[in-house]
Amino acid sequence: MKATRGCAAALLVAFALASRPGAQSPAAPDNIPDFSGIWDGTARARPVNSDNVPWTRGKNFPEVNERALAYMKVFDEAIAPKYDCQPATPPAIEYDPYMMEVVQWPDRVLFRYEKDDQLRTVWLDGRKPTSLDFSLQGFSVGHYEGNALIVETTNFVFDITGFDDYNGIPSSSQKRVRERYWRDGSDLRVTVTVEDPMFLRKPAEYTTRWIPGPKGYRLSAFNCDPESARASVKFMPAKYK
Amino acid sequence: MTVQRYLSAAAVSIAAALVLSAASTLAHHATTAFYDSSKKVEAQGKVTKFVFMNPHAYLYIDAPNASGTIVNWQIELGAPISLKRTGWTPETIQVGAELKVVGAPSRAEGTYGICCARITRPDGTPIVAGGRVTEERPEEQKEKK
Repeated sequence: MKATRGCAAALLVAFALASRPGAQSPAAPDNIPDFSGIWDGTARARPVNSDNVPWTRGKNFPEVNERALAYMKVFDEAIAPKYDCQPATPPAIEYDPYMMEVVQWPDRVLFRYEKDDQLRTVWLDGRKPTSLDFSLQGFSVGHYEGNALIVETTNFVFDITGFDDYNGIPSSSQKRVRERYWRDGSDLRVTVTVEDPMFLRKPAEYTTRWIPGPKGYRLSAFNCDPESARASVKFMPAKYK
Repeated sequence: MTVQRYLSAAAVSIAAALVLSAASTLAHHATTAFYDSSKKVEAQGKVTKFVFMNPHAYLYIDAPNASGTIVNWQIELGAPISLKRTGWTPETIQVGAELKVVGAPSRAEGTYGICCARITRPDGTPIVAGGRVTEERPEEQKEKK
């Protein structure tokens, strides 16, 4: 019993140390780029997401196929799962205008998103997803390449707004998301590339940035309230009776 | 550059900052499907409820509609997790307080919603001392420029 308590206490201390804003995990190797800390993805860092951001018509708007167009045509904003507190997923979650925390451990990188209390774990130890690993955020593996972190995520479940919730573009279980993170001065940058042969004719990508979060800032619990999430849906004229 | 131009430039900068802060707090969903930003509606009355929950805070007030009947208006605010950083708390607005709200009306017939609103006391004074109390639409800020 004492040993169990000792281990639990050690784990708690380790996570607390690794979660300090702006702090490098004490266990992280020295020869990797430092992405750890709180990152600000709000309007202070970049334009806020909309039906034309980060996917901009005439620039990087995805070339969707007939299947996607059919889904987009019947899409009804009221059915968007976010109105029931279902969180955004890659490639949208990286562009949500909120704070994010990165924690680097030797065998994994943790991305904690303040919005919807989401945690994505990027495994660095070579493990592969199994057939039981399908989920909303998928299964992420990664490695460092020079000064960059490369993340590959697969094993997503079908999501009616899984590509973009502002344009009602779905994503399938064949969605693959590649993220390349690097430091640009004090900024954290990422290029997000998405493939989904069920809905996209070719890969689509955007690049964005975060700025360092406010000094001493700690992520708060979001605790999405389903009643508040859906409270304004009644203000939309109904598309379907 | 004249002093006046300096002041104009400063005003534009401040307005831009406000646009950005407002946009960030309204970023859970697009508002155009719900609210008609080409119109403006005003409601003044007593607060019946203030819900400070993510992803959106809501303020409810009893106030007359266009035909003079008292109805319960639902005013959509930003995410509390963002509002907190601008000085808002669950206690910022008390039930029974008299407030004036001006913003974009909801689209569905027979509903009484307001978004992207300027919220003040009836005399136009702010409700948060030293803090931002408005969540104006980006279009409004552009018009001001």
